[in-house]
Amino acid sequence: MTREPVGWDVDSPVQAEVFVVWLDGVEIQLTGPDGPRAWYLQLGATEHPVEVVDRIVRDVIGPPLLVHSTSWRRDRDAVILSFVVVIGPELVGSMESVAVGRAELARSAATVAPREIAVEAVVEHGLRHLAWLADDDPVVATTLPEGWRTILAAYLPEPFRALG
Amino acid sequence: MAETDGYTNRCECGWEVTGSLDEVVDATIEHGRRIHNMEASRDQVLAVLAAGQPDEPADLSA
Repeated sequence: MTREPVGWDVDSPVQAEVFVVWLDGVEIQLTGPDGPRAWYLQLGATEHPVEVVDRIVRDVIGPPLLVHSTSWRRDRDAVILSFVVVIGPELVGSMESVAVGRAELARSAATVAPREIAVEAVVEHGLRHLAWLADDDPVVATTLPEGWRTILAAYLPEPFRALG
Repeated sequence: MAETDGYTNRCECGWEVTGSLDEVVDATIEHGRRIHNMEASRDQVLAVLAAGQPDEPADLSA
């Protein structure tokens, strides 16, 4: 007899949610050790979130190109710090990937957080953040491999779109 | 518990392990540490396994 599976999950009061992305030349792909689903990491009280994400990604997948915290929210009975981690295509190996589609952002009220935030909205927000960094932060701009800035340009706002 | 009995533990990420109690506990601790930065003790894993088996709160001590 095999007993029914039981549950095991990250349960710290502050958790990292990691979205590992790579560029296949045409599209941004979402991947990770368990495929494209969000990857949760326990964060101890004295641990620096960026150091933990960098270390675990480095150990499990390989050296990341960029590790950036892009948003936070309350979920899973914890504070969730979302990270976008960019890796090179050579590290993907057998990890399952899916192309990242566009999504609507979860909008806040003026002083109130959104009632619900879908994972797709978190990824969208993360990539918009990365797009802004690619334009504003010289380190990000020079670290992102060829092709990334072109793809990310679609995530930048267009305040002067031609109407005529 | 009969010697042929097995245990299964499943992580929310989709990872799953089946085996003897010791195998499941060891694999769960290793998975948690490597993939999720979790430092779980043997007793913590045993407690989760026991909590998942309300109809059979068998002796989980080693």
